[in-house]
Amino acid sequence: MKRPSLNLRGFPVFSFVRRMARWRSIRLTPEGTRFLLFTFGIGLAAINTGNNLFYLLLAMMLSFIVISGLLSEHCLRRLEFHRHVPDLIMANEPTALTLSVANRNRHLPSFSLRLFDVVEGQDVDRGLVIRLLPPQSSVLLSYPLLVTKRGWIQFEGIRAQTLFPFGLFMKKGLYSTAAQLLVSPPIKPLTVRFMDELVSEGQGESLSRRGHGSQLYNLRPYQPGDDSRSIHWMTTARTSHLIVRETEAEDQRRITIVLSTVAPKERDLLFERSVTFVASLLWQLTERTYPVRLLVGTEDSGLGTGSAHLLAMLRLLALCERQTPETSGVANHGEPFSHADNGERGYTVAVVPWSDQAVSANIVQADRVLHATQLEELTHAF
Amino acid sequence: MPFEQAFALGSVLLATTAFSGLVLAQSVPLWLALPTAIILVISSLLAGGVRFVRRAMAQVTLSPTLWNVLLIGAFVILLIDLVVISRDLLQAGIHFLIVLLGIKLLTLQQRRDYRHLYAISLMAILASAALTTDAWFVPIFLLYLLAAVWTLLLYHLTQEGSESPSFDSSASAAVGHAIFPSHITHRFFWLTNGTAALTIVLTLTIFFLIPRIGAGMLQKTSGEALRTTGFSDRVDLGTIGSVKQDPQVVMRVELPDRLPGEVDRLYLRGLAYDQYNGQSWSHSGTRRRSLQIDADGTFLARPTGNRRSDDPAGTIHQDILLETLDTTVLFATPFAELVAGEFLSLQADAMSGLHLSSPPSSRVRYSVTSHVPRLVADERTASALAYPDSIRSQYLHVPAGSEHVADLAHRVSEQAFTPFGKTAAIQQHLLENYQYSLEASTATLRHPLDEFLFSRKTGYCEHYATAMVVMLRTVGIPARLVTGFLATEWNEYGGYFTVRQRDAHAWVEVYFPRSGWITMDPTPTVDTAAATNRWESIHQFGESLRLQWDRLFIRYSAKEQLAAIHEVQEGGDALWKRAIHWVSLLIAPVSQAFGRLMHVARTFQPDMLGFATGAIVVCFALLLLTLRDRISLWVTAHLPSTSRQLVIAQLYTRMVRMVERRGVSKPPSSTANEFVKLVEEGWKEAVPMVAKITAYYHQGRFSRTPLTPDELAHAAEQVGRLQSLMKKHFVRITA
Repeated sequence: MKRPSLNLRGFPVFSFVRRMARWRSIRLTPEGTRFLLFTFGIGLAAINTGNNLFYLLLAMMLSFIVISGLLSEHCLRRLEFHRHVPDLIMANEPTALTLSVANRNRHLPSFSLRLFDVVEGQDVDRGLVIRLLPPQSSVLLSYPLLVTKRGWIQFEGIRAQTLFPFGLFMKKGLYSTAAQLLVSPPIKPLTVRFMDELVSEGQGESLSRRGHGSQLYNLRPYQPGDDSRSIHWMTTARTSHLIVRETEAEDQRRITIVLSTVAPKERDLLFERSVTFVASLLWQLTERTYPVRLLVGTEDSGLGTGSAHLLAMLRLLALCERQTPETSGVANHGEPFSHADNGERGYTVAVVPWSDQAVSANIVQADRVLHATQLEELTHAF
Repeated sequence: MPFEQAFALGSVLLATTAFSGLVLAQSVPLWLALPTAIILVISSLLAGGVRFVRRAMAQVTLSPTLWNVLLIGAFVILLIDLVVISRDLLQAGIHFLIVLLGIKLLTLQQRRDYRHLYAISLMAILASAALTTDAWFVPIFLLYLLAAVWTLLLYHLTQEGSESPSFDSSASAAVGHAIFPSHITHRFFWLTNGTAALTIVLTLTIFFLIPRIGAGMLQKTSGEALRTTGFSDRVDLGTIGSVKQDPQVVMRVELPDRLPGEVDRLYLRGLAYDQYNGQSWSHSGTRRRSLQIDADGTFLARPTGNRRSDDPAGTIHQDILLETLDTTVLFATPFAELVAGEFLSLQADAMSGLHLSSPPSSRVRYSVTSHVPRLVADERTASALAYPDSIRSQYLHVPAGSEHVADLAHRVSEQAFTPFGKTAAIQQHLLENYQYSLEASTATLRHPLDEFLFSRKTGYCEHYATAMVVMLRTVGIPARLVTGFLATEWNEYGGYFTVRQRDAHAWVEVYFPRSGWITMDPTPTVDTAAATNRWESIHQFGESLRLQWDRLFIRYSAKEQLAAIHEVQEGGDALWKRAIHWVSLLIAPVSQAFGRLMHVARTFQPDMLGFATGAIVVCFALLLLTLRDRISLWVTAHLPSTSRQLVIAQLYTRMVRMVERRGVSKPPSSTANEFVKLVEEGWKEAVPMVAKITAYYHQGRFSRTPLTPDELAHAAEQVGRLQSLMKKHFVRITA
């Protein structure tokens, strides 16, 4: 007959101990191990001889251990941590994070604190050491953070450890300072040739029309009702007739970038490079003040300009995930294209790190399609 | 002092303390102690940063190989020491330890060397603990503990410093006041000493709580036993004189049921002798009986020849701590009835002497309840007494050639008509007509008694007692000689008699059929008024501390622990009483010393100037301690070098702290004015002061008009008033 195994995890005491162990843990240092061995030896001598002075020395050694526990606990108690993180950072770009540490003890300072970031359950050493934190005071620490992967990064808390007072034990305490930070794909330089080609293609294929903008569209004779501010004075002087300047509507140069998120696992690297490419492209276009729109999977950033819009698009790119052809349907690939009206999209560039027949049929609707081969070529230096 | 320097000094102090322990335990020969002491001095100077020593030591560079060779040499010497010289593992080990200590002190460079030094020091203090039970271990232990706390703390902090230069030099930056000081600050100094004090308290607590499960299998004896005379089977007349100048303490006797001063002299009986051959005393019977033991471990020792009295006034309890002696005899006030102590068996001889089975290897603590026989009134006046034959045959024997003594005895007692009267007459004769002197050694004489009685007429206790016994016997009164100690030195601080070798004494026991053996002492009282000078008082104080040390630490046993546990089970009151008893035992010497000091103050003498100065210094220190807040307030407000803006900020912070102690805390979000409103709600009496300080704070901190010194002084005054208000409040609460 099979005996039921003893499952301690179900016991409330066990879970309490586990919870406590998560918040506080203690570990022996090499010096502590030697100290314990000496203590054990003296204890043995005391028992064997019955000499009370040996018991006194044993009591001294034990009290050192107890004092170590008490003082290290005091060092870690009433510490407060506040983390200051930016909204968005870029992968592979060092960023400074700040951490404020306050000692709320009324009388005793905290000594020898070493701080670790707890990220995904792992203690990450950022080289943060506080040798002394007086009572009722705080310090602001900053440290560089370099993240190599886009997406969310979760900071679970701060783990503080101390060897104070005698270096016999290392006591650790976990402080919850949960925070999350979004990491966008990095921005890489794109070749000037590619950008110029892309922009000129867009110009060529778009229909020029009058409207609000800054680029010159046409010069024509002045007619009553025209805004006097639009008179082109140089031509007027040359021709001795009032000539006004018409501007080209800016919305005619809008560009839509479509990123296909479907790619098999083996194309993951290229997919990531494609995401980086799209981010870099968006950055370049925003720099050139083009109204840009991004379509990633089912997400649509809408049309917009400026840095705020760029950040919104980068957030979309930071969070986009690759989908395998099996899990996604063909409809998914084509959905942005089918709903998007050509007139609203403007010049459309599709970035397709992986394609099959079904997808190609829909992608054809884009003005320019960058397939895997071209992407490999464009992103080989990333 | 820089941290590194303090660390080095602390390490040397730790080693010095451990070494001192070994030296005080007399386990280090001079040839080894002297060079080690020199090395310690050099190391101290080196650690203290004395330049010329540093320069000199820099010149002397020995290669590591040479040190290793020295180490091997030391090990070889250990083996030779073990096999040829000391032939004792502990002694040889200690010598080796000292050599290692010296080598390590001269090669202190890396942190590993310091760790080795600590390990050696620990072994050394352990060895000294093994070798002693004396009270000098207390200051050594406390100093060692203090040095250990400092050293370990500094070891850790300096290691942290060397591993991470400072947190702001790496990728981080500090805002605030968290720069680690490079020197020992005031706060750090007191924090470390506070840690040491806490460690001491905790050590004592743990010491008393650790279960004593020791089997004592490897227990070492407490050293060489004290040589005594007068307690062997045969005692030559005049031998006690050889120890009459020896001040070594033999035992300490407490009388728990007697008030201090109630008993001025105490006879502690050792052995009795019945046979005198003209030159020496001996026992006629050497048979001893083992005493019965009752359920609670008490030996029943009813003396033979004495009747049990139920009169509680006739019993006396004694708690005796006997030093290690070379005799098996246990001493007690005549006559012991109940004996309890740390021994497995106890024997009694035919003349009520108590014996251990073997000479003790360490101090013996035991308690005795004695019955003091009193002479029955009838026998005081009876003209003749009927002595049993056994007594007559054993206690009336006189040596041949005692005719002169017999004549003298008859002459002296011819006016008395009762046995008691004759006894008293003989005693009186000896007391009045003979002179006490330790110069009169008669050990080599052929007829020492005749010499004493008729020629020299000077002698000491043995002569007096022998003369009385022989004279009594010649007039037909049974008597015997008793040797023991006469305790007269009362320790006021500890409340006990200190008995020394020089208190060895001989006296007489006279037999009365109904009363039993009555103690009589023909030796005149020597005016040995204890010197009551300052040093004697200090000596007595130290002596009493030694006794408490022995009782509370050296003799602390599983039995006492079990008693405490039992009391916990019985109820808290008994335990509380016991704790109070222990505490009172600890503070008794201190309170006695204080009383003595008061007495000295009342009878002030010029030579007590030192004491008076000490007392004044202590009072002044206490006064400073009490007024420290006021003083610091004054210093804050009046120190010219301090910036006024900083001063008003400090005063404001102090005010906030005080108000917070009263229960009104300042939320971080509230402004100074909002805080005044909070104080209005929580502590109305303080509002005028708080409002004024806040106004000054605003002015000093934020306005363009700086505060004048008068305004600062006024702000400080307001803080002082607030402090007084606070104290009144607490006094009211306490009342």
